[in-house]
Amino acid sequence: MSVTFSAVAAGDELPPVEQSYAQPAIDRYALASLDMNPVHTNEAWAARAKVFGIPETVGHGMMTMSTLASVVTRAWGVANTSGGSIRFVAAKFTKPVKVGETVTAIGRVKRKHHFGPGKNWVQVDVEARDSTGDLIGFAEVGYNLPD
Amino acid sequence: MSVPARLDRYIETEKQRHFSRDFMTGWQEYETWDEATVGQSGAGQRPFIITEEDILSYNRACGETDPLMIDPEHAHKYSPTGELLQHPVFVTTIAFYCLGERGIGTWIRTPGARNPQQRIEILQPFRYGEVITTTVTTVDKFTQRRKPYLQMLLDFRNERHVFKARWWCSLILPKTRADVARFANA
Repeated sequence: MSVTFSAVAAGDELPPVEQSYAQPAIDRYALASLDMNPVHTNEAWAARAKVFGIPETVGHGMMTMSTLASVVTRAWGVANTSGGSIRFVAAKFTKPVKVGETVTAIGRVKRKHHFGPGKNWVQVDVEARDSTGDLIGFAEVGYNLPD
Repeated sequence: MSVPARLDRYIETEKQRHFSRDFMTGWQEYETWDEATVGQSGAGQRPFIITEEDILSYNRACGETDPLMIDPEHAHKYSPTGELLQHPVFVTTIAFYCLGERGIGTWIRTPGARNPQQRIEILQPFRYGEVITTTVTTVDKFTQRRKPYLQMLLDFRNERHVFKARWWCSLILPKTRADVARFANA
């Protein structure tokens, strides 16, 4: 991937990312992140505790944050061959993702930050929705781009 | 508490093999919202040695398909570092491993916690073999709409003290140990 700062414009859309939150996907994320909270993996406990007021397991917030960030990394690379890289990801979560959901995240270039050669970066705003169309989270992603 | 046996089938790394899958282990020792003090700082319980399998496992769990993230041979030839590139939210794994079950920041493991917002800054990619340690500082504690929020800043450095990443980690928590107990014993 060889996207450059000059080639990007505010308003540009990035391709959407679709992510399954079926129980096997949540289980795999629990092991990979070492976040073994039973609200994500233990159906019986989740039904008793109702942490979010619902009896089902839910995806990890950090899994949602990963999906949001993936919109940018899949479009431009985690670190691309021309020197681009992620600066930051700042995410807010607005609705728990129930097990079995499919989440779709889309991103759009919000702003270009002109700090000079080698220091320029862009802000991408990303939002994610569940299969009912409800907003489940959104993020600002900062990405360093070569000139 | 019982842990679903099916989770064993997803074990891919040495750390996952030895990490407790019982989230409630030692919950009586976790720091709670009412005990946390803003400004207090301390070190995570144990270091995290970066391995290829840790990064590979996290990237796969995020559904990544870029060979620079999931194919070690391809990454060896073509990635800017010669190693697998890590997903920017990979610090989650490092934090859960480093914080352990006792001391500052263990509220990240609180049963009944809810996740409102997070911010992660990446300063340098992690490299295989780096020994990552965390410094944890409690940076904010407040109640909003009757929900108790707690925020800590985790600084991740390697064995040469090179700053690698920062995570402002926020959770809405049960307020007291008695409140935590209601979830732990559910």
